[in-house]
Amino acid sequence: MDARRKRFEAIAPAVIDAVRRYLARRTDPATADDVLSETLLICWRRLDEMPAEHLPWAYGVARNCLANADRGRRRQARLTARIATLDPPPEVAPAPAATGTDLTAVLAEMRPEDAELLRLWAWEDLTPPQIAQVLGVSVNAATIRLHRAKLRLRKLIEAAGHEESTEGSRP
Amino acid sequence: MTDDDLRATLRRADPAASLPPLPSARVDHLLEQTMATPFADASPATDGRAATPSRWRRPALLAAAAAVVLAGAGIGWLTLRTPYTDSPSTTAGPGSAGPASPSVTRLTGAGIAAKCVEPTAQVLASRADLAVAATVRDIAGDTVTLQVTHVYKGTDADLIEVPQAPGASEGLMGSGSFEAGRKYLVAASEGSILTCGYSGEADAPGLAGLYEAAF
Repeated sequence: MDARRKRFEAIAPAVIDAVRRYLARRTDPATADDVLSETLLICWRRLDEMPAEHLPWAYGVARNCLANADRGRRRQARLTARIATLDPPPEVAPAPAATGTDLTAVLAEMRPEDAELLRLWAWEDLTPPQIAQVLGVSVNAATIRLHRAKLRLRKLIEAAGHEESTEGSRP
Repeated sequence: MTDDDLRATLRRADPAASLPPLPSARVDHLLEQTMATPFADASPATDGRAATPSRWRRPALLAAAAAVVLAGAGIGWLTLRTPYTDSPSTTAGPGSAGPASPSVTRLTGAGIAAKCVEPTAQVLASRADLAVAATVRDIAGDTVTLQVTHVYKGTDADLIEVPQAPGASEGLMGSGSFEAGRKYLVAASEGSILTCGYSGEADAPGLAGLYEAAF
């Protein structure tokens, strides 16, 4: 039991940091907090199953937890929507759109699967085999899909850059 | 645009780039909170494996096992009755023409919530009406058949059958599920497997000692 605690204490800080970032990139702060605790709990309980390379595994756990949280939230949202129809809230002005993050918009434009591959690759800094582990797909599939997603992103960035540069060069 | 450029471009849009590290006090708190939670306590839906609705997994397993054992005990008892009056080593009824078929005790695992306390030899000795060392002979679907190799208490069965209940399996000590060819120590009460640290892989830490002390 003590050995188990020691092992967890050695691994956990890195897992906490990585999973926190993973969640900050994908959900709101409150959900991120909940899912982080839940992910840690599963890591603790399934410590024996944790492979030596534990981050991709932990991302995979966090991914499932987040998916479950989102499912719960969608249920909640449906309920809220039903209530809102009966009792509409006062209108509020929409928050100003975030500026300066063109790439965020580009990612949002892409297929969610492609965007997620690119996030795992660039933000979580994972290799295709690691991405495969997070997503639960074969290494081959992850490699090919990542390659295609990169091609698509390049095209989108180039298209956006082209528009910008032509607009900018106009006298 | 090279891969590196692309990655660098993406990284500039990383919303977590400016995320300050968690203060160490908060990390410690999270760790303590996590480790203070019994193993058995995790929300069942999150890892995709848990099927038990109970908060207490291990007890749930225990309970599950207990239920299995209950169901099994009934059957097992019926099966075993004959040999008691006839031949103590097999369940083949008198007059059965074929070779004596091995006696089978079926144990159940059910999803009843219970709470685990530290396993003790006293509790094991008093609660278990069946305790054996057994090796998994085969796994067919959800049913695991174990070949009894040593009887600590209470059975003449050569084989025991237990469910490989996915949700309940985590109450077993060791890897948490039955694997072909591995040796297990299984205790049951009234047809239900005792989990909560009373059944599991034979080489799980402390388990063999517990059995030695109890029986």
